[in-house]
Amino acid sequence: MDTFAALSQGLTIALQPINLLFAFVGVMLGTAVGVLPGIGPALTVALLLPITFKLDPAGSLIMFAGIYYGGMYGGSTASILLNTPGESSSIVTALEGNKMARAGRGGPALATAAIGSFVAGTIATIGLALVAPTVVDIAISFGPEDYFALMVLAFTTVSAAFGSSVTRGLTSLFLGLALGLIGIDLQSGQARLSFGIPDLLDGVEVTTLAVALFAIGETLSVAAAGARADEIIEPVKGSVFMTREDWKRSWKPWIRGTFLGFPIGAMPAGGAEIPTFLSYALEKRLCRKPDEFGNGAIEGVAGPEAANNAAAAGVLVPLLTLGLPTSATAAIMLAGFQQYGLNPGPLLFVTNPDLVWGLIASLFIANGMLLILNLPLVGLWVRLLAIPRPWLYGGILVFATLGTLGANPSLVELGMLLIFGLLGYVLRRYDYPIAPVVVGLILGPLSEQQLRRALAISVGDPLALFQSPIALTLYALSALALFGPLLFFLLTGRKAPVGADED
Amino acid sequence: MSDPRLSSTRRPDKAGFVIAFGLAALALVVGWDAWRLSSINAHSAVGPAAFPTIIAGGLALLAVATAAEALRRGEVERPRDEFAPMAWVLAGLVGQIVLLPLLGFSIATGWLFAATAKGFGRGPVWAHFLAGTVLCFLIYVIFAKGLQLALPAGPIERLM
Amino acid sequence: MTQILRGALVAAALAAFAPMGAAHAEIKDLKIIAPAAPGGGWDQTARSIQQALQSDKLVSNVQVVNVPGAGGTIGLAQFVNANKGDPNTLIVGGYVMVGAIITNKSPVNLSQVTPIARLTGEYEAIAVPANSPIKSLADLVAALKADPQKVSWAGGSAGGTDHITAGLFAKAVGVDPTKVNYIAFSGGGESLASLLGGKVTAGIASLSEYDSQAKAGKLRVLGVSSAQRLPEAPDVPTFKEAGIDVEIQNWRMIAAAPGITPEQKKEISETIEKMVKSKAWTELLAQKGWANTYLSGSAFDAQLAKDISATQTILKDIGLAQ
Repeated sequence: MDTFAALSQGLTIALQPINLLFAFVGVMLGTAVGVLPGIGPALTVALLLPITFKLDPAGSLIMFAGIYYGGMYGGSTASILLNTPGESSSIVTALEGNKMARAGRGGPALATAAIGSFVAGTIATIGLALVAPTVVDIAISFGPEDYFALMVLAFTTVSAAFGSSVTRGLTSLFLGLALGLIGIDLQSGQARLSFGIPDLLDGVEVTTLAVALFAIGETLSVAAAGARADEIIEPVKGSVFMTREDWKRSWKPWIRGTFLGFPIGAMPAGGAEIPTFLSYALEKRLCRKPDEFGNGAIEGVAGPEAANNAAAAGVLVPLLTLGLPTSATAAIMLAGFQQYGLNPGPLLFVTNPDLVWGLIASLFIANGMLLILNLPLVGLWVRLLAIPRPWLYGGILVFATLGTLGANPSLVELGMLLIFGLLGYVLRRYDYPIAPVVVGLILGPLSEQQLRRALAISVGDPLALFQSPIALTLYALSALALFGPLLFFLLTGRKAPVGADED
Repeated sequence: MSDPRLSSTRRPDKAGFVIAFGLAALALVVGWDAWRLSSINAHSAVGPAAFPTIIAGGLALLAVATAAEALRRGEVERPRDEFAPMAWVLAGLVGQIVLLPLLGFSIATGWLFAATAKGFGRGPVWAHFLAGTVLCFLIYVIFAKGLQLALPAGPIERLM
Repeated sequence: MTQILRGALVAAALAAFAPMGAAHAEIKDLKIIAPAAPGGGWDQTARSIQQALQSDKLVSNVQVVNVPGAGGTIGLAQFVNANKGDPNTLIVGGYVMVGAIITNKSPVNLSQVTPIARLTGEYEAIAVPANSPIKSLADLVAALKADPQKVSWAGGSAGGTDHITAGLFAKAVGVDPTKVNYIAFSGGGESLASLLGGKVTAGIASLSEYDSQAKAGKLRVLGVSSAQRLPEAPDVPTFKEAGIDVEIQNWRMIAAAPGITPEQKKEISETIEKMVKSKAWTELLAQKGWANTYLSGSAFDAQLAKDISATQTILKDIGLAQ
């Protein structure tokens, strides 16, 4: 079928004024709800789905696309400005983004996130339109042994987020791994580290841990610093928008992030978090000013944000081509599609081409709308930081607890927020990095499950782990990440120029 | 590895020992749980106890490494933390958990707002409590009524 | 913060147009607890009930509350403890809860709620990749008897409906259920992907998850767990046809709080019955591909008791319960 004809017809429908309005409203709502810490895109889409029921299929698909991308984007705004990641895939954004905001560079950080999301979203949506069937075939060929190799790669590159001390980085990581053990083990059905508390059976929610460590831990340690911390954050130092140098430093990370995010997002067990970790590690390696990492390097926002958004489009690949919902958000979207008799599956492109292309066109429109809406708002968003500290932090705690309560109205969840908030304070006080705790919580259970699946399928033969070419390639990459700099030193006798010129 | 802001003396770092002790205790708990799990018959190549065992081992090693570092590096002088502001913020969070089931979202979260503001040096508490409660009631209306988000209701919320 | 508020106000204004505002409702306010996260089967069931009740003006305002966790047992515990005698709060549940209560040693169980009706159900299906040498249930049984370890099954979490079905299947053909090489996946998507990629021998899930793949020729569905062949897959034999005595339905129900009066129970039952007969509900079921397996009153109570004892037995056999 003529892809471009179908797409342009979809675009004509999506560009009608009334549909543009729906896109606008969707992006607005998605961003507004997604900004709340703890409320990720899944809940945002679930909450706002009933609103779209009232519209005709075209209008509602467009609004839906807007809510989806808006929800993804809203999370990064909160991460950058308030250090309160709204969802697990914007945790990495908080690392550099919030440092930038504190240095008066919140404007460029938000801008590179918005433009990077746009670039990544556009490229990934084109990918969705053109190569979805090919990508999905590759994605499906990933077995548990390959996923395990991917996790190994993620683990080896995570050290990029460790900060200065390996012992401290590993300690944080192992805390996260230990927290990841809590709950019912998927393979055996046994409860681990739950001590008979029913609320622990499902384990620790990633967003709860992230909100607690970042938002509450941060609030506590700023409060404890008292007068010592009383420098006032200047919302804007220099340009509100990106300078020429910012552009120069951003565009390559956007592209690299996109090419990490889209394929991994398309994998049934890929997710949006791993590409953000990989992108962060990659940018740190390639950055020409590596000492800026940890103090607000724009590459550390541009890359992961692009990866995150490209992964969001990637998730739609298995959803539309196979009918596989591979994330909570995708599962809710599936329910939304069914409202219009759209039954995602292998035959969808054949049976409902107009709706599919309408949706893809809507994604383009939503993506553009997100940029148009958010760039002018950057200046306003940044002003949030000018709110006097007592009210700002009061507000942060109100919204952090609101988000947690909204996702799961349980006092135990609030109790965990408090305990992990204290943990976040202690970690900060004694110079332990925060991000590896969350990374451990995400990667630990994933890698364990994949390894055990691989070994169960091979009936306990460990050689099966090294028999797939995909896995071997990924292990080679891990080895390169670990020993690459050392090898360089041995060969040339001088230290690897981290961030070598590659123009 | 050492932070230039921190000066060190000959005495071993007490905080480092406390952290090392905490890690060792965590290693014991995880290890104990792994031991309990390993006694359950699992019919797969790698059972539920394998990963906990590795993690417990890792934590134990890190406890040793942390203790060794505390001994080697010596006492680290850290800036003093003020207890009172932190206590206010904690009182806000604990208060919210206590008040939530009795008085609902607006009052409990209003208290959280007031206590946090107080912790950051802005009073009076009662005025912030009132303002916070009104603000939170507005939030409640928007999210619970507008978006059907389930938030705990109390006497104020039931007035609607 | 003003931005958030402004955005949210628009949301509120928009939502105000949306579902509410009905004329002659019998029950005014109703809260339905979906003991799962948004997106799952129970959540979708709860939201479908919400939609059907509101669009037919049977209840003027229905709110869905998600209380996720531990196979629904957290939501159930909260419901039993906080809503005693409350006729305005209902809970959605299902067969998965029966197993979860046993494996999680839940302090509350289904005897502590007032079951109203079974609403819908799905049947389990066993499928293999299209290029698999296994062509029929008989082939699968033969492979399983030859070496149960070599037959890997992809399905949902350990102790769930898929696992239980695999255990019942093995037991029925005379294979030790503890020898079943069951690979648990966290979501339907992931387990289906491993099957499509040929990573596992067979997959076990509700038929709807395999249906569209089977129609596209990527999977072969070997059998279903229903008593008779199903209208959506008339060519697929039942387990019983192949001589395997396994019949299982992954049903979903609605239940009321403990301690309500018989009059209150009657009123709720009548409202639900009206809903089940409504056009809106029929359309919703068709849209989602759910079968209407409505069963209420003492017939449902008996079925529930039967399911609970059968599940207890098989979970013991698999080794997941004492």
